[in-house]
Amino acid sequence: MNRRKETMSRPTLLRFLLMGLLLGGGLLTGKAAGYIDPGTGSYVLQIAIAFLVGLAFSVKVFWKKISLFLKKTFSPKDKNGPHVP
Amino acid sequence: MYPEGVLPSSFRDPAGHVFRRDGVLYRSIRDSGRPHYDALMTSGLYKELIAANLLVRHEEVSLSDNAPEDSGTVIRPEEIPFISYPYEWSFSQLQDAAIATLEIEKRAILSGMTLVDASAYNIQFLRGRPVLIDTLSLRRAVEGEPWMAYRQYCQHFLAPLALMCLRDIRLGQLLRAHLDGIPLDLAAALLPLRSRRRLSLLLHIHLHARSQKRYEGSGAPVARRTISRQARLGLIDSLESGTKKLLWRALGTEWADYYDDTNYSPAGMAEKRKAVEQFVAAARPRTVWDMGGNIGTFSRIAAKAGAMTVSFDIDPACVERNYLTARAGREVDLLPLLMDLTNPSPAAGWENRERMSLLDRGPADAVLALALIHHLAIGNNVPLEMAAQFFARAGRSLLIEFIPKSDSQVKRLLVTREDIFEGYTQEGFERAFAKHFEIGRRIPIADSERTIYIMEKK
Repeated sequence: MNRRKETMSRPTLLRFLLMGLLLGGGLLTGKAAGYIDPGTGSYVLQIAIAFLVGLAFSVKVFWKKISLFLKKTFSPKDKNGPHVP
Repeated sequence: MYPEGVLPSSFRDPAGHVFRRDGVLYRSIRDSGRPHYDALMTSGLYKELIAANLLVRHEEVSLSDNAPEDSGTVIRPEEIPFISYPYEWSFSQLQDAAIATLEIEKRAILSGMTLVDASAYNIQFLRGRPVLIDTLSLRRAVEGEPWMAYRQYCQHFLAPLALMCLRDIRLGQLLRAHLDGIPLDLAAALLPLRSRRRLSLLLHIHLHARSQKRYEGSGAPVARRTISRQARLGLIDSLESGTKKLLWRALGTEWADYYDDTNYSPAGMAEKRKAVEQFVAAARPRTVWDMGGNIGTFSRIAAKAGAMTVSFDIDPACVERNYLTARAGREVDLLPLLMDLTNPSPAAGWENRERMSLLDRGPADAVLALALIHHLAIGNNVPLEMAAQFFARAGRSLLIEFIPKSDSQVKRLLVTREDIFEGYTQEGFERAFAKHFEIGRRIPIADSERTIYIMEKK
């Protein structure tokens, strides 16, 4: 049997977790209520996802820094080879 | 061009107005907007955005005896040569405008400010690049406050781009009906199921629409919450990556490969080019409208001669290709736009004055109409005299190509329909246009039965 069909890929798992968090966890169904204005729902959603997008952004920035550090450390400093006097 | 006085497009902003005096465009800043304007100028953000070509440049002026009431400060912004609207942009033009909006907000966050509006109408194309024209929409940020323009960004940019990319490119025209952007519940209903597999669209369109539905009309106040600066940057980053991942390739439409499928000989094509070059050199227009400009082959001749050239076409793929070529070549005087000349952009918005019709934005100094008249007269049943009247309203000098019924392209139009166009002859064409124009040179095109006319409006 194809193993890929049995296991859930990471992005899919993330989506399910997110859906569960937002819809099942009650972030969109809390005590707060709105006005006759689509802006209220937008405001609530932004608050609800703020932690997630902030965390994702922090990880992304951190990963970029790490990869930049690794590139700098392991890339040859002088492309023309060692200097021979 | 708008007449003198306060512009009807800027009435919503309590911080100031845009107005015209003696033909010059100004923006007044009321006392309530002054602290934000000062913060923009002193924070370094203005200089940064100008250096990055993201904001329209301005200078402060003194108009003490001639400014509208209650305007403490007046600035004179650089004027946009041709105002265009999101429903006239190609996919990549809208996407570039979206990315510019997010880039401005990102830089604003880092300067302690925020963009309070993410309206696509606040972005205009200047020297080929999208810039913010609403200087007063940059305000001092309130610590911890979420991005107030989040919903507007999703409606004005993300939803139309997703629909154009994942459903049908023509859905961009929904922006013409929905001036405050496409309602997210409508976008969510129209998007294919697979759009939910993209995290950014799942969050910012599908769940966003659901949240709006959940809270609409429920009546009670919402508890105020704060979010961190990192979360604000994260939101912009999430929107940016979602926007950039939307890709549309301009292929397979009726007109995009037009020049590969015409009956011009190389000599005929060269003659057409030469006619346009001579026309532009003689008329020396500052503004040119190329009607039915396709991928901009002839528009570029005018643009290279220094005329601000707007290249209109009905085909989204042609406009896209034209824009991508202009962008890659950093062409500063060419603006490709989507336009159905049989149903050009109308005046729209409050009192029908907020957004200008196509003809409100003219007349141009010169108009090009190459390989177009048969589509209007035969393809769309527009009588020749009405076509002449339209061109007379659009511009002062006209270069127009007449294509007789014996031409293979016209024959193609008549294959499946009855020929009810008795008046469509060269004589009929000249008679109709002579009512509105002085007909000058007639240039026969080699190896064809086509003729180019140069005319001046009476």
